[in-house]
Amino acid sequence: MAEFSWLPRSPLEHVLVVGAYGARDVAPGISLTEIRNFDLIQIMARRGKGAELANAAKARFGMAAPEVPKAVSASDVTLIWSGPDQFLVLSKGGKHAMDILSQAFSQFASLSDQSHARALISVSGMKACAMLAKLSSLDLHPASFPIGAAAATSIDHTSVNLWRGSDLPDGQAVFNLLVFATFAESLWRTMLDAAAEYGVDIGYSEELG
Amino acid sequence: MRIVCPFCGERELGEFTYLGDAKPVRPSAGGSEHDVFDYLYLRDNVAGAMSEHWYHGGGCRAWLKITRNTLTHEISSVEPAAGVGAAKVGG
Repeated sequence: MAEFSWLPRSPLEHVLVVGAYGARDVAPGISLTEIRNFDLIQIMARRGKGAELANAAKARFGMAAPEVPKAVSASDVTLIWSGPDQFLVLSKGGKHAMDILSQAFSQFASLSDQSHARALISVSGMKACAMLAKLSSLDLHPASFPIGAAAATSIDHTSVNLWRGSDLPDGQAVFNLLVFATFAESLWRTMLDAAAEYGVDIGYSEELG
Repeated sequence: MRIVCPFCGERELGEFTYLGDAKPVRPSAGGSEHDVFDYLYLRDNVAGAMSEHWYHGGGCRAWLKITRNTLTHEISSVEPAAGVGAAKVGG
């Protein structure tokens, strides 16, 4: 009988090389940061239970779950719209993990633990918008995709959940991308190609942005 | 071609998959062989406005019912297909 190791590992560990990438004669225009070790739960309302789920979500998180393509954040959790009557719960440290949320929501909703099924990539920097514009058909200008805007869309034929986080203190835009773990390598390489001309600073973090 | 998803907004065609005619209705369990054959195999070749099912697989993964003119590709209506979302559509 083979011995298995069930230690969680990053889906990007074979391609993520910390440090500089691409153009070196300029200050990096893009930061690509993989966020590791998060809790991610998909919650979908059962048929006819949308109102009950909305009430339960408000009681649980202290804010309404988004009913339109937006992401809303409290101090310890982010709720990301992912489709009609469904949203993702992104958090850290187990406070909103599967065993806890399933008790709160299983009457009204189907829950699915996606913690190890997705990679979370944060794209920031003065050229973040320009880089993503090469890959996405969405208009990511702040006028049409402001802070808190979210989208379920495709980048390079790969489904992603994309949302805009708060700007960094120096005004740089932040985009967060959730991608299926097995597609993460492919998307990572695609983004490196798109970002290389701007100079990239690659890293990973254990902290949600 | 762009399609305005009622959930996501305007998106490029590449995010959607075409299923086909939205008109055929599955016959009841006691339906005649003729009705079942018609439902399974016979399709109208419409030149003009046609009701179609599309799937927003590259986005919110909702099924949509779209009225499209097959001559001009003009889309005159997009609505969620029956049963999309657990509870409600558009409030």
